[in-house]
Amino acid sequence: MVDETKSQKPRVGVFICHCGTNIAGSMDIKAVQEYARTIPNVVYADEYQYMCSTPGQTKIEDAIKEHNLTGVVVAACSPRLHEPTFRTASKEGGLNPFRFEMANIREQNSWVHMHDHEGATNKAKDAVRMAVAKASLLEDLFPKSVPVEHAAMVVGAGVGGIQAALDLANAGIKTYLIEKLPTIGGRMSQLDKTFPTLDCSQCILTPKMVDVGRHPNIELMTYTEVENVEGYIGNFDITLRKKARGVLTPVEAEARGIVGGGCNGCGDCEAVCPVIKPNPFEMGMAPRKAIYIYHPQVVPLIYTVDFDSCVKCGLCVEACGEKKAIDLEQEDEFVTVKVGTAVLAVGYELFPIEKKPEWGYKRYDNVITSLEFERLICASGPTGGHVIRPSDGETPKKIGFVLCAGSRDNTGVGKPYCSRFCCMYSLKHAHQLHEKIPGSQSYLFYMDIRSFGKMYEEFYYRIQDEGTKFIRGRVAKIEEDPITKNLHVLTEDTLLGQPVDIELDLVVLASAVQPTEETNHVRHLFGVSQSMDGWLLEAHPKLNPCGTTTAGVFLAGVCQGPKDIPDTVAQAEGAASAASIPIHVGEVELEPYFAMCIEEKCAGCGMCVNLCPYSALDLVEKNGRKVMQVTEAKCKGCGTCGGFCPGGAIWMQHFATPQIVAQIDAFLLGGEQ
Amino acid sequence: MAKAKGYSDENLSVRLADRYYRTDDASPDFLKNIEKIGMTIAHMCYQCGTCTGSCPSAPRSSYRIRKFVRRAVLGLENDALTDPDLWLCTTCYSCTDRCPRDIAPTDIIMAMRNLAFKRKIVPRNFLNTVQFIYKTGHGVPNNDVNRAARVKLGLEAEPETTAKYPEFIPGIQKILDHYGLKDEADEILSEGQ
Repeated sequence: MVDETKSQKPRVGVFICHCGTNIAGSMDIKAVQEYARTIPNVVYADEYQYMCSTPGQTKIEDAIKEHNLTGVVVAACSPRLHEPTFRTASKEGGLNPFRFEMANIREQNSWVHMHDHEGATNKAKDAVRMAVAKASLLEDLFPKSVPVEHAAMVVGAGVGGIQAALDLANAGIKTYLIEKLPTIGGRMSQLDKTFPTLDCSQCILTPKMVDVGRHPNIELMTYTEVENVEGYIGNFDITLRKKARGVLTPVEAEARGIVGGGCNGCGDCEAVCPVIKPNPFEMGMAPRKAIYIYHPQVVPLIYTVDFDSCVKCGLCVEACGEKKAIDLEQEDEFVTVKVGTAVLAVGYELFPIEKKPEWGYKRYDNVITSLEFERLICASGPTGGHVIRPSDGETPKKIGFVLCAGSRDNTGVGKPYCSRFCCMYSLKHAHQLHEKIPGSQSYLFYMDIRSFGKMYEEFYYRIQDEGTKFIRGRVAKIEEDPITKNLHVLTEDTLLGQPVDIELDLVVLASAVQPTEETNHVRHLFGVSQSMDGWLLEAHPKLNPCGTTTAGVFLAGVCQGPKDIPDTVAQAEGAASAASIPIHVGEVELEPYFAMCIEEKCAGCGMCVNLCPYSALDLVEKNGRKVMQVTEAKCKGCGTCGGFCPGGAIWMQHFATPQIVAQIDAFLLGGEQ
Repeated sequence: MAKAKGYSDENLSVRLADRYYRTDDASPDFLKNIEKIGMTIAHMCYQCGTCTGSCPSAPRSSYRIRKFVRRAVLGLENDALTDPDLWLCTTCYSCTDRCPRDIAPTDIIMAMRNLAFKRKIVPRNFLNTVQFIYKTGHGVPNNDVNRAARVKLGLEAEPETTAKYPEFIPGIQKILDHYGLKDEADEILSEGQ
């Protein structure tokens, strides 16, 4: 299109923000403003307390009209924070929003040069001069809209994934719920009770599991992993690996022409299977067969063959009979689905606490982890809810809970963060023992009790009232009596200032939590960053806790950082809501930073085509010769092709070579022409 | 500073003296010096007690390593350096091994001992050890019981140290003299007499 402003001599307006004292406290704003007036092409320079405020934005709008500006520079915070704000202001003033350029004089200047007033001022002058150089060459750009697929995917079907899937499905969106294990339910289904209400965990979770299983908008895919992700917000093509389960669902059986067949969960196969393996759902404390379900309430109620341990004796096939549900030769299948947005809810696992040898886990029989305790005290667990000492099967009378086991640990072995829910579940465990084992005494070894949730402090009060002894000291060492297998917990009661040696029957380690082994793989597939501690990185810790830096991908639950069930569910609902917005809007605007082929210069060598990480480039025949062509919806403007092209035939919109060179010149020449 | 109260009975005055910690009780450089000498992040202590819980001296004495770290953090220089418990650390390094904040409490204690020595606060037995090292090259010199035990085990009576090669003792003495340790120890010992 014909660009009127292009032929004009550039007229740039510069606006310098004080950001209260955030910027003004570290540099001389007036000096920067005066300097800006001397920069070529600058026809107007102003400053204000808060440029992002309504009066600040009005200044920009008015100046564009009054001074007929062709470009706007705001020297303030980071583009991440306020570029959208000032683009809107530029647009309101009648300018194409992409004629706005930001100079970051806060994060990259005033905050890091707080004690160097003169240096900061000079650096701000440089930043403004460079921004003006670019703003002088900016062009009108027009964002492109692409349609959004009316479907979403949720990866991980713990309580977070279940909630997100239900919310999306209830909002009328087709939702694929992907779970790598044979059943949904996640960690919450392993728990006996939930704090502080003491609801039975399974009782409140199973209705949701059942809802997920039969919701018309949810396609539940268990024993399935994400294999590959392509595309972008609105149009993700996700390839899934349906792992060979060895067992057909009734639907799958029917597809093979076996009418009325398929697995009905009767368990006849399991009864005849000769292979015995530990059941990971029971933390290895109960057996399962090579053909198994985790527990009676699994959703879907379909058996799974563990092909790593199956000896293919065929007894199960015989037992299954006419249902013909078992196929021991089944292989992994791949399916590709198209979704508009995705929610990652891939959960957590326990830190392998045996890495802290002083607490003796895996060396001493009667030292167990909190998840093992959950299974032991759960009525549907391996002992029918009777807590026993692993060494001799006796009922423990004196039980210790070791908090911060591996959490708040800066040694490199362990996790520097607080795992956030151990305090509360350990209080719950103490309560459960008080209730189940008359005359028992619990000792809780803690550094701080973090009971910050609704009704949590009250729960702490209640447990203390029940008689649990709280000893403020991190456990230094646990020693085992080799004869009795009792444990001596050695620590300092820091409030007494005295070392204590407490002999206990059973010790429960509230082990730290960590991202699952697969988290890193999944995050790479979806292009999501991780924070320093390995958890998935949210777009903004306060203002965008469910989003990620990849548009259209959202986070829910512990995979973003340790959180308890209420917080997980809340975040899942937030993520589902955020993920449904682009789907309901129906289209998304893409930043117009596409690469463009300058066809007169393109030699058609095609080297860029293979370099493009997003498969956005093709060679096409035009006017009798080969030239490169960009699929704009696929291009992310990464610049790989533009940087490489030997003929300089690729124009990176908004980051064009002349614009960048002008910035570099502006910096190196120090403003001299 | 502890504020005096005017009780007529001297004992009562002492017993009921004001024991508030006040910020002006803090020595401004104590923590800094300890971190410099001990090369450890003493100020990061969160008082969990793992150190004292690990300490072999603690159950048998009033020595509380955690309290010394606290004194370092609060700048309670006099309290720390004049407390005889300072010398009960066996330097087994169990606390350093287990400290979840990756602090080296043992090195804090060593730093405090350094500072105490500068103020000539040292138990006599430590000074006697200095004399032994100066004389024999060993803090605990070989003795007849030891020699007999070694021979019984099929070892030479004297180990491969200055015990067997006394010609190296002057070298050790030279080092001790260079730092003035022997002179200082002698001086403190004689002052005490």
